[in-house]
Amino acid sequence: MPSDEGLLDRFVDWVPTTLVFKCVASWTLVPYWARRTSVKSLPGGPPPSSRHGDNVQCMMNLIMPLKVKSPIGRAEAALAIAQSQDAIYAGLNNVGTVHFARFVIVGDNICMFSVYDGDFTNYIRDFIATIGEVFNEVVKLVEDGEKVTPCERNVEAFIQWIHERDLYQVPDTATDFLRDQEALNGDRAVSPVNDDLTLLPRKMVLQLRANKNVSLGSGYRAYPGFSVAQVRKQLGLGW
Amino acid sequence: MFKLADLQGNILRGYTNKPHVRYLILEVVERSAARRWLADSVSGRNCVPQITSGDWGEKKPDTCFNIGLTYEGLRALGTPSASLKMFPNEFVEGMTARAVKLGDVGRSAPENWPAPFNEPKRVHLIATIYAEKVEQLDVVQERALTDVKAFKLLDTREGYNFPGDVVHFGYRDNITQPRFEGVPDSQRHPDRQPKAPLGTVLLGHPTNLEGLTWRVPQPAELGHNGTFNAFRVLKQDVTGFEKYLDQAASYLLEHPQRDELLPPGAEEKIGQGLSIEGLSRPAALREIVAANLCGRWRDGTPLALSADAPDPNADLTDFDYVGVGDARCPHGAHIRRCNPRGGQIVQRIANNSRRLVRRGVPYGPPYDPANPYDPAKPGDGDEPERGLLGNFIGASLGAQFEAMSCDWLNLGLQDPRITGSNDPISGTNDPDTSWFDLPLKSGGKIRLPGFPEFVSTRGGAYTFLPSLKAIRFLGSL
Repeated sequence: MPSDEGLLDRFVDWVPTTLVFKCVASWTLVPYWARRTSVKSLPGGPPPSSRHGDNVQCMMNLIMPLKVKSPIGRAEAALAIAQSQDAIYAGLNNVGTVHFARFVIVGDNICMFSVYDGDFTNYIRDFIATIGEVFNEVVKLVEDGEKVTPCERNVEAFIQWIHERDLYQVPDTATDFLRDQEALNGDRAVSPVNDDLTLLPRKMVLQLRANKNVSLGSGYRAYPGFSVAQVRKQLGLGW
Repeated sequence: MFKLADLQGNILRGYTNKPHVRYLILEVVERSAARRWLADSVSGRNCVPQITSGDWGEKKPDTCFNIGLTYEGLRALGTPSASLKMFPNEFVEGMTARAVKLGDVGRSAPENWPAPFNEPKRVHLIATIYAEKVEQLDVVQERALTDVKAFKLLDTREGYNFPGDVVHFGYRDNITQPRFEGVPDSQRHPDRQPKAPLGTVLLGHPTNLEGLTWRVPQPAELGHNGTFNAFRVLKQDVTGFEKYLDQAASYLLEHPQRDELLPPGAEEKIGQGLSIEGLSRPAALREIVAANLCGRWRDGTPLALSADAPDPNADLTDFDYVGVGDARCPHGAHIRRCNPRGGQIVQRIANNSRRLVRRGVPYGPPYDPANPYDPAKPGDGDEPERGLLGNFIGASLGAQFEAMSCDWLNLGLQDPRITGSNDPISGTNDPDTSWFDLPLKSGGKIRLPGFPEFVSTRGGAYTFLPSLKAIRFLGSL
């Protein structure tokens, strides 16, 4: 089938692939767009849903920038986790709704990646109640950590602090991403104009400027829809 | 410590002798006049009804009057921004913003709420009047609205406690409330649940989660001894509920394990318990289903104590879901989902931590089972709306009301045997997906499918119930 594209169309399609354009866009165009179109940072964690399957095996991708950005700071973090590992694992077991959790150092960040069931605030609140005292030692090494420790006495602020450091989870579909943006702006109804998918690349660029790190999609699950306790019960492990 | 006289009376008292309740939903008109109104309400000056405190001395008041403020209300009064910032997120965002967590979706979604709850930012103060007679409600309302510069009445909601504390689905309600440490227990019901720490219901006191404290908005006179309330207008589909009981009874009559659920002749014992002569087998099965959905027989007898039949001599509060009590009561029963007591739950530290003071009053006309609404019948018109005006009071909306609603009522996360199902009575159910397991003595179960949503939300607001000191503070801003 012959192409309807004219020379100009092909040129316009080609320009963004050039290094010159990418540099100009990164240094000039994107900051200009961002100034013209204010984009707020989208909140972390999975979007609210009333579907049961969406409320089990939720993912938390917590990125906490260390105060000391050097191998020494990273070693302090590694040591803090190592010293408390048994207590943290025992605490997570007592929370009862955590499938998996692990600590990772990426660059000058200490990260906690976990998969949990139910509401995020309940998870973190129960986490504080079981191992808050131990976790304080880790949070103290993190930028602004002193503002929310001891977490047992700053429960609401600590939950918010964690929420702000949990990565935004880009939805699996473009329209859900646009709805997330609109929800943040307080728009109750989605207008046809805002559903214009041709604006998606631009909106995504601006959003990734506001949310530098994100989780892509809702993730793969080998056995979706089952809670920790359902799996444990089925395997005869007790719950 | 605290003095009862510094608390609003409706936090720890049920006002059981004042069956008529009216809610005035108010919007601040002029900030200064509204503040003056609040200052006057503490002592009942200048015609403004006096706030009823927790200590009413020798003489019981003829009527009771209490208030709750929304976040928008606190803002409208000019509460300092430093204080406003200290209120918890869920209160700041308001009930409509938390709709998905609360299961307010579909027809319960805030978009479908009628006025005045369709404009949540205008709902500033909810005043509640409790009285023996309706005329008294009118008198107090008139006094409350005397100063037209203070508040504008957006609307009212009114309820009436039916005789015997029966509510629309035919259950006895208002049976039990948490007992609190340091608070005299006037009812002195035996109760196997531990006394709840005062921080369960008042800000500034130890909570049930050891070592955890909730943030108290400052200055202390504003936040200390205050608490939060989830006010809910919950419409009940009584016709639908009764129809479902018929449907379930028919299903069970054909079920191969029906005799294990209802041994031949056992209907007589159920009839005796409910004072119904000659109770038929289908009617007995209806009552069994109703009892299992709730966790109590309709007369209030807990299934954990008496699973075979209602027992007028059974204690209504002194039971637990351990041992035989665990096996007798369905894991998904309404009262067990709301409060699993000492029973095994997934969130091991959460037992007894999400307890709430519940104050509910039915609204709308009582359902007449002899004359049920039938849309096909000429003259029946629209079915009158009926339901419950509910108040769910606790020091942390997030840790108590929302945690209970989200993970326990609407997800069933607390027990793997019910995870993925909604509360059978108050949950957001769909006949295509809903299910509920009736336990059998053999250890087996019969799964009931196909029940619809019996309760839908028709409005509500998160309010802060300030102490008397706090009302004075707000009045003096």
